[in-house]
Amino acid sequence: MTKEVSDKLQELKIPELKSSLTSKLKNEVYKAISEIKTTFQDSPEGMKYFLNRYEDLIDDQNKDYKNKKIIATNCIYVPEELIYASGAIPVRICNGFYALDQAGANYLPAKACPLVRSTIGMIDNNYYPFGAEPLMVVNPSSCDQKKKMGEIQTKSNIPIYLLETPPVKDSDDAREYWLKSIIRFKSILEKTSRQKITKSKLKSAINKIYLAQNEFRRFNNLRKNAGIISGTEAITVINTYFFDDIESWTTHLNLLNNELEKKIQIKKQLNSTDKPRIILTGSPSIFPNIKIPLLIEKHGGIVVNDDFCSSTRFLYDTIAVDEWNMYDMIPAIAERYLKPSTCPNLSPNKDRGRKLIETIKEFNANGVVYQSLAGCHLFEIESLNIISLLRQSGIPVLYIEVDYSPENTGQIITRLEAFLESLT
Amino acid sequence: MKKIRKYIDNSNLSLFRSIIQIIFFIILVYGGFKAISISEKIPTFACPYNVRTGGTCYLINIQHQLHSEWAGFITWRGISVLTALLTFIGLFIILNKSWCGFICPLGTIQDWLTKLRRLFGVRFSRYNKTSFKSLKVIKYIVLILLLVIPLGMSNSFFGLPKITEDMSAPYCQLCPARTVLPAATGDFTQFYIDFSSTTTIIMTTLAMIITALFFVGSFLKKRFFCFFCPMSALQFLFAKIGLLRLVKVGNKCTSCGNCSRVCDIGINAIADDLENKFIVKDDCMMCFKCVEACPENNCLKVKFTGLTIFRSTDEGFFKRFSKTKDYNITIDRKLSKND
Repeated sequence: MTKEVSDKLQELKIPELKSSLTSKLKNEVYKAISEIKTTFQDSPEGMKYFLNRYEDLIDDQNKDYKNKKIIATNCIYVPEELIYASGAIPVRICNGFYALDQAGANYLPAKACPLVRSTIGMIDNNYYPFGAEPLMVVNPSSCDQKKKMGEIQTKSNIPIYLLETPPVKDSDDAREYWLKSIIRFKSILEKTSRQKITKSKLKSAINKIYLAQNEFRRFNNLRKNAGIISGTEAITVINTYFFDDIESWTTHLNLLNNELEKKIQIKKQLNSTDKPRIILTGSPSIFPNIKIPLLIEKHGGIVVNDDFCSSTRFLYDTIAVDEWNMYDMIPAIAERYLKPSTCPNLSPNKDRGRKLIETIKEFNANGVVYQSLAGCHLFEIESLNIISLLRQSGIPVLYIEVDYSPENTGQIITRLEAFLESLT
Repeated sequence: MKKIRKYIDNSNLSLFRSIIQIIFFIILVYGGFKAISISEKIPTFACPYNVRTGGTCYLINIQHQLHSEWAGFITWRGISVLTALLTFIGLFIILNKSWCGFICPLGTIQDWLTKLRRLFGVRFSRYNKTSFKSLKVIKYIVLILLLVIPLGMSNSFFGLPKITEDMSAPYCQLCPARTVLPAATGDFTQFYIDFSSTTTIIMTTLAMIITALFFVGSFLKKRFFCFFCPMSALQFLFAKIGLLRLVKVGNKCTSCGNCSRVCDIGINAIADDLENKFIVKDDCMMCFKCVEACPENNCLKVKFTGLTIFRSTDEGFFKRFSKTKDYNITIDRKLSKND
């Protein structure tokens, strides 16, 4: 078989494969959206924008990112400030699509983490938001599975850059190593996007993120009035930040916040103040994988907060720059991504339990649901410590192991119902 | 009341501090023109070698008082030593270490040098953890020496000969405030090398070197000299009874490190210490930049006699740090019951 023939065969095959994949993805998104719409009838007006963004996401005609500089990121460790300053747009590609999880299963063992599998599924099928063609995929060495995933040869020829992250955050050496890694990443970015990262560009990138963070924190604070917005919706809102235009996202979150504030003023709340308030922790739930929060809220609970790296932790931590020059901004950026991190790849990771307990107090939560993706070893291993810590503090906790498959929810529902009942 | 609280929490304390610093610089360095003298035992550098000084530093006071035979301390001299110490403590505890951050004219000069460096875009330097730990001991050694040497001039220790009178007020001979503060009034007579004896040659040469180091060091490193300041060491002995306090609520801390990043001295403990409520370390100068940079509500608080006067809030943080007006979003938050 000559090369030409094989190329032609592939050309014929791929669109077919792709179209079946697209229809699967569409199905998943529509299903998740309709679940949200039917479950939360009292949903605020401002939610519409965020749900529409998902419809745009799976719209084949939408090619907004076609000719733009896009840098695909794979983890919370990738410094967005630098990407914006290099004139590119960061798009985070860890996702919750079951169809992509299945597609990625060709490359990774059956017991691998579905989040990593779906990421490689996305890379393999070149299925990026809004027709984007990323200049590179930034893949941090935060967990072993992600790290090794980057070495796998897929159908895609987009370069994968390994961003080195330290396994420890407290030692001086680790911090220095991370700073060096960031400085190297900066020069790689400049080469890739063919634009120098200047002082003023970096400053305005940091400021863009400040505004997004400010709105996010406002939103997070409003969630203390339990029932004002459901946890499932909140996770959906924050997940759009993965791929949305940052200015438009911030503006719309601002509108949503204003609406929620007004709602609180006229005391229009869902009849949910007596519902058990749950905090989610563990492996991230990324839209459309909103199985657990949705089940909790369908069965009488309310998710008031979470500590997922895909939602609350994604935007929470801020940068403080003393002197707005490169020599201070770059270390400040490096510190933002390492020092407050509670990623389970860090050892020791005492901050995680401590912050979780503080969040429980602050949000007046009744219980914790620890979600672990089947195959996510780090969160599975750390569950022992966290659960015993929570039990010591007298906080009820339920451990659930999940995957992306939409089936097999029967057992989870039974356990959740029993847990929620025990809290009331 | 809530509105005032919010206004203060959102305020730019650093700007306020700069203004206070200028005012006190004028009072303490040029105050003599108007015959102002705050006190002779003030817990900050106000150098009497500067004839226009508006107060006198307690260190020169104590060095002269300790220049006495042991027997002298049980007479009227002992009482005056004690009253001077009490005056010093009394003045000190009102503002605690803020004397360094808000009032000290030598500190103010260092802050101005920092501003100059920033203008040139020159990178600042920072000690790493190990050098920080070993260097911070120096100020205690200097403090002990400045107390022991005057005693050694009048008394013989362990049968050793008495120290020469040329060592009178030994710290002042080396202090950069002696050369720099008179120079601020146009008096450059303190720049000299005294050839009258070996001791004076050594001391005055050292003083010139230290003065040069002061300018170079504090240009390259924020608050370079404060790290070695014996006044700071002496003050710290009484910091725990200060009326002005910096308090950290450890479990609200997210370890983001913003506070230690902006710290002029580079204190790591402000971020890493989650246990101690009383967070003022010996190198701290209570400038409260850390409170400004903390994005957690109520994590860091400035208290005066138990009353919170300034505290960290996320709204305040974004107000101070975010500088774009790109799109039409205000950072203001509604006042809620929780505040």
